[in-house]
Amino acid sequence: MDPAVVARLHNFYWSLGTVAFIVVGSYLVGRLAQGVAGARGAGVLQRRRVFWGYALVSPWLIGFVIFVVGPALLSLYYSFTDYKLGRSIEWIGLENYKTLLGGLGAQGRRFMQAMYNSFYYALVGVPLQIGTALAMAVMVAQPLRGMPFFRLVFYMPVILAGGPAILLAWRYMLASNGGFINVSLQRFAELIPPFGWLYRSFIFAVESFNAFFIGVTRSDPVGPLMYVLPALLGVLVCAALAFGSAEATRRQVARTVVEVLGAILVVVLGVRAITGGSFVPHVLERLGTFTDLLTQRTSVREAGSLDYLRTGFAEHAASPLWLLGLLVAACALVGYTRLGDGGRKWLFGGVGLLFGLLALGSTVDGVRYFQAFDAASAAAGTANHHFSLFRQVVAQFPDANRVPLWLSSELWSKPSLVLITMWSSGAGMLIFLAALKGVPRSMYEAASVDGATGWQKFFRITLPMISPAMFYNVVIGLIAALQTFESVYIIQNTQTEQSLASAAYFLFVRTFRQLEIGQGAAASWILAVLIVLLTVAQFRYSRWVHYE
Amino acid sequence: MSDVSVVSKGGNAATAAAHAGGAPGQERRRVFWRRGGKATAVTLFYAVLIAACIFFLFPVAWMGGTSLKTIDEVSQAQLSLFPETPQWSNYTKQLGERNFYRAYGNSIYTVLVVLLGTVSSLTVVAFAFSRLQWPGRNVVFALMLGTLMLPAQATLVPQYVLFYELGWLRTFNPITLPGFFAGGASLVFLLRQFMLTLPRELDESAAIDGANPLQMLWLIILPLSRPAIATVTVFLFVGQWNNLVQPLLYLQKAELFTMPIYVAQKNNLQESPIPWHDIMTASVLFVIPVLVIFILTQRYFTEGIALTGSKG
Repeated sequence: MDPAVVARLHNFYWSLGTVAFIVVGSYLVGRLAQGVAGARGAGVLQRRRVFWGYALVSPWLIGFVIFVVGPALLSLYYSFTDYKLGRSIEWIGLENYKTLLGGLGAQGRRFMQAMYNSFYYALVGVPLQIGTALAMAVMVAQPLRGMPFFRLVFYMPVILAGGPAILLAWRYMLASNGGFINVSLQRFAELIPPFGWLYRSFIFAVESFNAFFIGVTRSDPVGPLMYVLPALLGVLVCAALAFGSAEATRRQVARTVVEVLGAILVVVLGVRAITGGSFVPHVLERLGTFTDLLTQRTSVREAGSLDYLRTGFAEHAASPLWLLGLLVAACALVGYTRLGDGGRKWLFGGVGLLFGLLALGSTVDGVRYFQAFDAASAAAGTANHHFSLFRQVVAQFPDANRVPLWLSSELWSKPSLVLITMWSSGAGMLIFLAALKGVPRSMYEAASVDGATGWQKFFRITLPMISPAMFYNVVIGLIAALQTFESVYIIQNTQTEQSLASAAYFLFVRTFRQLEIGQGAAASWILAVLIVLLTVAQFRYSRWVHYE
Repeated sequence: MSDVSVVSKGGNAATAAAHAGGAPGQERRRVFWRRGGKATAVTLFYAVLIAACIFFLFPVAWMGGTSLKTIDEVSQAQLSLFPETPQWSNYTKQLGERNFYRAYGNSIYTVLVVLLGTVSSLTVVAFAFSRLQWPGRNVVFALMLGTLMLPAQATLVPQYVLFYELGWLRTFNPITLPGFFAGGASLVFLLRQFMLTLPRELDESAAIDGANPLQMLWLIILPLSRPAIATVTVFLFVGQWNNLVQPLLYLQKAELFTMPIYVAQKNNLQESPIPWHDIMTASVLFVIPVLVIFILTQRYFTEGIALTGSKG
């Protein structure tokens, strides 16, 4: 008989056995619960209720023990061992976690790279995906003819994107040499010169961004530039708290800042404890001064040697950590005390200004830092590998023959994946649509009477009203970004595998290809903790999103 | 056309009309840029929509077009969607392959077993959570919702070890059997929410007639819950038909491959030029059931997502 038929029959018998097992098991669980209830002195009717309730919920209850609780506990145990399938188990304590979280050795570096990639999907992919979903939802919500058809078409990619077939079609279309997308883009660029210019700018922008990101993931030091983004974020928060109007919202934002920064601090200290780092970061010993805000790292200009630039910065630079402390203190003041309006504006105006100075100073000094790298490399007579890919890409604007190397270059592999996720963002669209239905018509009418324009209505009414849906989509999107697997599995090749690998893909390769169960389990628990943190954050902060 | 009556009740005109889909009732239609009534704006709007449609539909069309090309056509630089002469023989060749038949059969078999097992156990469990009163129900329910937080990755590894120890690698058991244990807390939740909306009196009158809970479920709740069960079924079908991870981990033998792996491994052939027409032929045959089911049951998708999503 055909082996497939044999396997199906085998499975069929097992299925019957499983059904029998569940029926008998459910009956026994029901009887057991009934017995317990009886021992506690429950009446006949109550005992009957207990029996039926527990018996009928047992299919899930039994599966919960066999497939969730048991495995979860086992995997926690494995994560502290060096278990490899078919070998004996040895307890190695926190070793796996040290390797992965500390980025030690080849595997640790791969894990860190996978986390960076997931971070990329979350940072770049999720906003693009949500933007697409929102745009589609707003369009389809218009009361015009034919919208159900468009809704159908926009949602269709979702049911296909989970399977390999359409991913393969994308892979074929995105072939860099002679693939449909590149050939038609090229043709367009030749036909319409302005489009050609736009097209090359697009190539330039994507390549520079990705080259920079690759530089960061290779842990090339960025020097003072690392303060720019947090500083800008600080400016934003301060502006919101200084000029934001609603008192309740303000307090919530301030409390959120305190809590989130506190949580980050706990996580960072926890990771440091596991990887054996010092509990007190060095930066605490070298808090910067006010003048450091403008010239972040005066020592940068003085330092000539390459070694100093590579490692010395983190060792010797003054850190503006006190500014963060100031922000937390100010937020605590606003969040937990009643502070006057004037005082609050001065306070956050001042702190925001300091953050602005930090951003400016860090940018200027960042440029100096990179120049120092060049000078030091030249003096040492070696090539400067510091962000070499980035500088190579930025050095010249693409000429007319350049095409995006979608799936064959690490500069384009992640953008390709993001493109495919944008294509399948219809699930988010449906959630936005459901939320849009909930916005009362009378609000728009009242706004029209007041003479509001369409855009004003969108930003002042629609967006705040659907913010819960937005938040739901963001959290779901972030979790999905961490768990990206199928698309990576299908579109990767040997050149792009490392630059595409998500956390889930790393876990798959480590566990099921290389059978390193112990390390795979540790990676899965790191991922699990991250996802639980995200979900908790959702429950914690989903309420204030609604502004009610 | 009950949707139209919703509009006339003065409810949410915009969304109700979007729901009714071009239902008559011209005078109630309003667009937010309507002031001045610009026909050009509407035309432009449709142009954007149609462009978006092309973006979303193109990969599917491309798949279909490629599946009818010759090997020479697929190895050239690509600019035309359709072949010069459609090669229907690609399909006859694909349908003549033994492993393709096996994979298709395996997919249909596993999907059927998973649907049967999961839907029946889900219904029973959702019934216990919604229509029965028993001490400890809220605790167990909270426990179940808690599993929504636990990512699949946390249990993937030891489950593999469990099935390895049971000797179930290279069998269908790891793919089909977990479903029998009401797999998927979100689907239980969806069904329970629906069953809660059914009137209480139904159970009471049945209880007076001396029916036990199983009879109540079978005779009263099940027939009334059909729409929700259909929603759950189509979700499960699409998820299972596309399921790549579990089969990839456990099947490991060409005769046992389900369609997702069969299609995926066609891509790994070290052939040059890559036989894209062949890969796409298999892909089209793989995608057809999902597309057909989706088009026939699309309203269950939209309703189901609204049910789960709006609770966030």
